Amino acid sequence: MDFQRFKPHLPWITLVVLVAAVGIVDDTFLRPANLLSLAGDIVPLFIMALGLTFAIYIGGIDLSAQSMANLITVVASVYLASLGAWVALLCLFVGFGFGMLSGYVTTRLLVPSFISTLAVGGLAFSLAQYLSGQRALNMDAVQRDAVFGWMIGKTGMVPNELLIAAGLLAITLFIERRTTLGRALKAVGAGEPAAAASGINVARYKILAFAISGTLASAAGLLFAVKLSGGAPTIANGFLLPAIVAVLVGGTPLTGGVGGVLNTAIGTMIVAVIRSSMLYFNIQATQQQMVFGLVLIVAIALTIDRAKLRTVK
Amino acid sequence: MYELKKVDKKFPGVHALKAVDFHVNRGEIVGLVGENGAGKSTLMKVIYGAYQPDGGQIMIDGKAVRFGNPRAAMEYGIGMVFQEQSLIANLTIMENIFLGYEAQFVRFGVINWKAMAEAAKKQLAKVKLDIDPATTTADLSFAQRQLVELAKVLTLEERVQGNLVILLDEPTSVLAKEEVQLLFKLVRELTTRASFIFVSHRMDEVMELSDRIYVMKDGAVVDVVERGQKTVEQIQHKMVGRNVDKEYYREQRQVPYDAGKELVRLENVDLVGRVKNINLTLHAGEVLCLVGTEGSGREAILRAMYGMRTPASGNLSIKGQPANTMTPRSAVERGIGYVPRERKVEGIVAGMNVYENMTLSQLGRHSSAGVLRIAGERALAKEWIAKLSIKASSEMVDCGNLSGGNQQKVVLAKWRSGGSDIMLLDHPTRGLDIGAKEDVYDMIRDMSDAGVGIVLVADTLEEAIGLSHTIIVVKDGAIQKQFDCAVGAKPSLLDLLHYMI
Repeated sequence: MDFQRFKPHLPWITLVVLVAAVGIVDDTFLRPANLLSLAGDIVPLFIMALGLTFAIYIGGIDLSAQSMANLITVVASVYLASLGAWVALLCLFVGFGFGMLSGYVTTRLLVPSFISTLAVGGLAFSLAQYLSGQRALNMDAVQRDAVFGWMIGKTGMVPNELLIAAGLLAITLFIERRTTLGRALKAVGAGEPAAAASGINVARYKILAFAISGTLASAAGLLFAVKLSGGAPTIANGFLLPAIVAVLVGGTPLTGGVGGVLNTAIGTMIVAVIRSSMLYFNIQATQQQMVFGLVLIVAIALTIDRAKLRTVK
Repeated sequence: MYELKKVDKKFPGVHALKAVDFHVNRGEIVGLVGENGAGKSTLMKVIYGAYQPDGGQIMIDGKAVRFGNPRAAMEYGIGMVFQEQSLIANLTIMENIFLGYEAQFVRFGVINWKAMAEAAKKQLAKVKLDIDPATTTADLSFAQRQLVELAKVLTLEERVQGNLVILLDEPTSVLAKEEVQLLFKLVRELTTRASFIFVSHRMDEVMELSDRIYVMKDGAVVDVVERGQKTVEQIQHKMVGRNVDKEYYREQRQVPYDAGKELVRLENVDLVGRVKNINLTLHAGEVLCLVGTEGSGREAILRAMYGMRTPASGNLSIKGQPANTMTPRSAVERGIGYVPRERKVEGIVAGMNVYENMTLSQLGRHSSAGVLRIAGERALAKEWIAKLSIKASSEMVDCGNLSGGNQQKVVLAKWRSGGSDIMLLDHPTRGLDIGAKEDVYDMIRDMSDAGVGIVLVADTLEEAIGLSHTIIVVKDGAIQKQFDCAVGAKPSLLDLLHYMI
């Protein structure tokens, strides 16, 4: 069978093979309780990857996602006491705003997104350091449970985080498949000149893609802060690489236009399985990034659309 | 000595070369002519190794060879002088000449610039160019760069055994008349060193220079003409394959347009760059053709009408409303449709299916509160697939996999289904085969009957004359002349050429 036709099926086949392989080696792995807690743990990463999918789908990238999540853990910890539940809205608003800024810099000032988002990430990081006074912050446990306790509870056997993830996946899938926004983003990713020549306001949709990415990165940060009951400017470090891996392994190539959020769900599960198998094989946390780095290179080499990329620099 | 035997090349949906026989003798200059899309460029790419033929053989001195890439072809003495100039502008002449072959000047990892300059001087002498080889290429005139390129190809002489074959792709298209004569003189002298294959649109030049001319049409060689055996008209007839008749351009269907209904008006419009003082009016049902050489400003005027370029001064109005600050988005809202020249880049989105492409310009009409009505989109696509007899197995197939003619129909359907009544067509028949071209001509007449105003930049002058109600000749960014082209009173090719050049 020809590789081009096989390629769209590669992500889920990889997932099935990995799950089977780890399941055979480690017999506790396939127990439902283990799988559920595994899935629950990966949710903040998944939400971040969901947002990144939009940036990558249009052929860009959002390197600010991790700094954004860091910033939000700080914002949530600092303002929970004064704002109560409204702090969630503040967090999402901050993420949306920074995402818009990235989009604006990319489309109006014509700075490639890998640089514009890196720079905006720098802004977010500094702001996080300033707000936190460069210390780790703790939320008031009672207040956290009262306001956001539902996020980390359980419904029957299922962690509520999984329900949140499923809800966000459903919303983003709807945006991608059924709305003019999703269609326009696909056109921009698959053939930007043709989209522009069809009268689509390409810049606006690109800015929106980065804003969605920022919003979801902040949602990830909020959930992470609630889980840890606190925040710090570096607490989410180590998220970015696995999140990008999740998107690319899922089958949304850096060149954009194909793949989507469903692919990212599969990609995130692959990352979860790789991560838990590394724990099983006693690979230390410091070495895990290396594994993700290698997986990332392989994933990009396999998925990138070389017809769209004349030269690589 | 260089020979192609029954060479075949196929691309998805196109049979680009059909059993082409071709040969070049030592010291010969061979001409290659044909219309756009006849297969000239494919044939050239096969000759210099950029494409590998699907069938047939390439023979050099009676031995079959196969080139994996242009560099392999160069090892056999086949070099290409590119039309779009392959020199790197920020390198010096000598660096360009020996690009990729610097090893001969390297001692202990360091380039001996003196030796390279000496060697470069020798190459430049072959093309009679007396210039410092350390000059940056960007500082050269166009004609000089062309000679440097030729000198670069002539380095093959020292590098390879056997004879050279050099391809010249439209080498005269931007040269002044004296420069052309100098180039021809040089090429004739160089036949002691190499054979040449000369590709050009200018029939008189091909006739003047070539010992033998291959005439291509629809991917096949339809005639081989020895020097002086046929007239320009006879060759042209072979190229087109028929008398350019009225039937072909659907002239019998041309009806007078509605002069009372104005759609687009440009008054003293200047654009950034060369385009100055453009005045024109497009009426309902009118086919208005902009005619001029490449770079005369036709495309810029067309793009200004679509809001892709903003007039620097003057007035642009659409249907009586001022539209100087129009964007493509608002142009679409005003009922303007744009069929770009680069169909695969700007026309269709490869990777999206037929219905997604058709509704791309009209997403607002197919959605409520941002949510698409996909069933409606698919029904619309089905309707237009039937209406324009688009060869697609369903509305769900990827547009990137359709043939050129069907892609163009999808682009036209995109605008017509959205109710556009001003159509801007930039080379709508480029790269299409004859049947698909005729379909496009029919569609242009259909649109004209329906009261659509059409601005056309045609692929050939015959096409422009045949299709239009009005022809506007543009030269160096200014309108030279406006012709009225009522049936039976159409201007001739020469009438137009007189104002174009």
